[in-house]
Amino acid sequence: MEHWFTDIAQALVNWLMGLGLSAGWADFVLLIVQWLCIVMIVTINVIILIWLERKVSGFIQLRLGPNRLGPYGAFQTIADAIKLLTKEDIIPSRTDKWIFMTAPLFFIVVSVMLYAVIPMGDGMQVVDFNVGLLYFISIGSLSTICLLMAGWGSNNKWSMLGAMRAVAQMISYEIPLAISLLGVVMIAGSLRLSDIVVAQGNIWFVLLQPIAFITYFIAATAELNRGPFDMPEAEQELTAGAYTEYTGMRWALFFLAEYTNLVAVSALCATMFFGGWQGPGLPSWLWIIIKTYLIMLVFMWMKWTFPRIRMDHLMSFSWKILLPVSLANLVLTGFGLEFFKWMGWW
Amino acid sequence: MYGKGLLKGLWITFKHSFEKKDLVVRYPEQMPHLQERFRGSLAFDFEKCIACGICIRNCPNNVLSMETAKDEDSKKKKLMQYTIDLQYCMFCNLCVEDCPTNSLYFTHDFELSQFHRDDIKRVYHRPPELDQQEAAQKTSDQDTQTAADDKKEKQLRAMINAINKNPQKVLARVLDGEEQVEVLAAVLMADEKKLARMAEMMITDKEKAKKVALAFVKKELKEREKGGDQ
Amino acid sequence: MLQTDQYIINIGPQHPSTHGGLHVEALMDGENVVDAIVHLGYVHRSIEKIAESRTYPQFVPYASRLDYLASHLPTLGYCQAVEKMMGIEVPERAEYLRVIMAEFSRISSHLIFIGSMAIDLGATTGLIYCLRDRERIMDMFEMTSGQRMIASYMRIGGIAEDVPETFYAAARSFLDDLPQMIDEYNGLITGNEILQCRIKGVGTLSAEDAIAYGVTGPNLRACGIDYDIRKAEPYGIYDRFEFDVPLGTKGDSWNRYIVRLEEIKESARIIEQALDALPQGDIRTKVPRVLKPESGWEIYHRIESSKGELGYYIVADGGNKPYRLHVRAPSFINLMVLPIISRGGKLQDIIANIATLDPVLGESDR
Ligand code: SF4
Ligand code: SF4
Repeated sequence: MEHWFTDIAQALVNWLMGLGLSAGWADFVLLIVQWLCIVMIVTINVIILIWLERKVSGFIQLRLGPNRLGPYGAFQTIADAIKLLTKEDIIPSRTDKWIFMTAPLFFIVVSVMLYAVIPMGDGMQVVDFNVGLLYFISIGSLSTICLLMAGWGSNNKWSMLGAMRAVAQMISYEIPLAISLLGVVMIAGSLRLSDIVVAQGNIWFVLLQPIAFITYFIAATAELNRGPFDMPEAEQELTAGAYTEYTGMRWALFFLAEYTNLVAVSALCATMFFGGWQGPGLPSWLWIIIKTYLIMLVFMWMKWTFPRIRMDHLMSFSWKILLPVSLANLVLTGFGLEFFKWMGWW
Repeated sequence: MYGKGLLKGLWITFKHSFEKKDLVVRYPEQMPHLQERFRGSLAFDFEKCIACGICIRNCPNNVLSMETAKDEDSKKKKLMQYTIDLQYCMFCNLCVEDCPTNSLYFTHDFELSQFHRDDIKRVYHRPPELDQQEAAQKTSDQDTQTAADDKKEKQLRAMINAINKNPQKVLARVLDGEEQVEVLAAVLMADEKKLARMAEMMITDKEKAKKVALAFVKKELKEREKGGDQ
Repeated sequence: MLQTDQYIINIGPQHPSTHGGLHVEALMDGENVVDAIVHLGYVHRSIEKIAESRTYPQFVPYASRLDYLASHLPTLGYCQAVEKMMGIEVPERAEYLRVIMAEFSRISSHLIFIGSMAIDLGATTGLIYCLRDRERIMDMFEMTSGQRMIASYMRIGGIAEDVPETFYAAARSFLDDLPQMIDEYNGLITGNEILQCRIKGVGTLSAEDAIAYGVTGPNLRACGIDYDIRKAEPYGIYDRFEFDVPLGTKGDSWNRYIVRLEEIKESARIIEQALDALPQGDIRTKVPRVLKPESGWEIYHRIESSKGELGYYIVADGGNKPYRLHVRAPSFINLMVLPIISRGGKLQDIIANIATLDPVLGESDR
């Protein structure tokens, strides 16, 4: 079971080479297949996640959540997807058409790109970059631009406000997010995600870097526009923020991208702090799925419990608390490392 | 201090998410539990109605209406058709409360939506059996005691109706002076029993009716004076 | 050179958190509110005009439709106004039951307030927990009057029907569980630091402004002014009960929230006393079927509704219908301070302020 997916990939490459393709071309075809797989994983995940989120929110709110279509309402999301697909695509007349129309596409592309570096199991990584983490963070911040495009293109004050909030929030939370991850990088000594996973063979980094974990978790919530930090959407204030004018499939793409991001960030969290795909007994790819889903459940739990924070508090929280704390953590980690090395424990 | 409240909130929602979800009513498979007095939809019992019109007068929204015809033999009002235009009803209970025969009542049926506006209206036509019944009764035991009683009661009802409908004119038979008539009307309107007694006397014994009416008026005026003093 | 400009943003009339058809025209500078103008009238149903074409008893069900979240209170006010005008005495038992129903209405309205405030601030789950508990009150209303929200249970001269036997047990068990419910709100909503940041020191209303604008009810008491009509000018039998009037100190959103939370407990105290002292007897005096106040009679009667001073001004012209009926709607007057408490705040504060002023648009637009 452990090597199912790697075996299949190897078999594919062998078969292609048997057909007379050179090794480079075979790898290229494999890459395309892998991308298709990722898109599939993303879609299936999102379908499950939306159902899960509804169930979780239902359970927390003393309701049952979806329970009509299929066992435990499992097919509800599919029905909704069909509904959204068949809906009329409304483009308001005074929008900036191209920007308005392409924003959701960019958003989904950017979020799918994140999956390139996530180790989804032992040796199951599309590209094993030596600066994988850097790639993840920089691609992750691109989604800011997509939200700004959506807000600007909609030519609506609510959307614009939502977009401005998104930009302000995401840029300010990017910094503590990156800095909190740096502590882990220092201990692991590499930006390559597979190395970081291997470095956690003995002990999970969440135990070595608890402060970094908390700051990462908070900053990630803000990055994802979720939970108490869902300022760009803020349906009680901005109706739907940047997404106000979107309908049908375009709106669904935003939704898809948000959940895709959620999975990616949770998977990164599992990779950086919870030992990635490592775990006893079960195959590695199952471990990362379990860890990712548990982390996502916590994200959902928080979202359905907390009220929304205010914009100015949000900014000052980032700059005045989160950033100093993560910086201090970084300094502390550096001293700690040197101390350990000096004592000869490392 | 910081974060304690947040964790407490998380704990509360955590606990609740494992609770049994017995608050949910899975309508339509599972019907909600309705209390006995629940006012769902109006229903009407044709046989019982005496066509007194109290319900129609009480309704604030003109939901109710009826059509009557004069019976040729007994000269009494005969209910032909009763209409409840439910779309204007606000389920306020004012009509049901004062119906003397309980022929108008609320049921527990709350599924009132219809595809067409006209379907909301409920029209009750006079059931043909009712006429047959009455006719049969009339011919078979015309001169038995029950028929006499029946007639008496019918007369009584007719009188009550008349008073209800036009108190000024009818009550002028027993009293003179507009003011007195008005006072008497108010007294009778407020009390069903007094109204019935008065009506009976007006049919059987006019002299006695006049006396009693005068007594009613005096008593009422006295009471009003007292009320005014306070 | 960066050039900034002020812009107008229209909150409502179709907006998720305007409690109905409220329209706030906000002049914004980025996220900061420069000014806010309240536009009303989207839920106007001309109830005052309807009253002129309905007889006195017929208007009772319309009164419930003013404040549909606490429907016993507006009907109580109306019935008492007419009774005062006609000099009608209400039987003792009916008075007690009226108080019980009115206080339950107040609790249910305040529960909705807490829940809707929570959801307006983004805590969706808070609403559900409040609704769950309110449901029990609604069941009691259904038990007694047959309707859940728009009960029309009060009648001129008493109440419509006596309560069924099951009511007492339901009421007692609700009162027993109330402290536990409040604990839960405290844990989920009151104690939450994010929520405290959102409403503490936000939307501060000074006592002078509150008086100048005629603000009443919990909003006024949050400013520290001890004014409750149940105490200041007891109507019905309110002088027989012992209860405190919770007061705030600063007049900010937080105080408005806390005052209402405390008022729930006080209402529960009143209900408990009323249930203990509930006498047997009639529930309705005989009232003439046609009420005809004399021409020129007029009355102003006010009660402490869950939103503030709810007053009815009725002018009679000798007919069986009022010549004019005016409702002093507390929601309407309380909403007028929204601009002064929102100025200088953030966009999100407007939402918090609307929520904590607790308007019911059905009442304010009539
Ligand atoms: S319930 Fe009210 S509105 Fe409906 S028919 Fe009866 S009196 Fe009219
Ligand atoms: S009040 Fe009752 S008896 Fe009289 S007309 Fe109406 S339904 Fe018939």
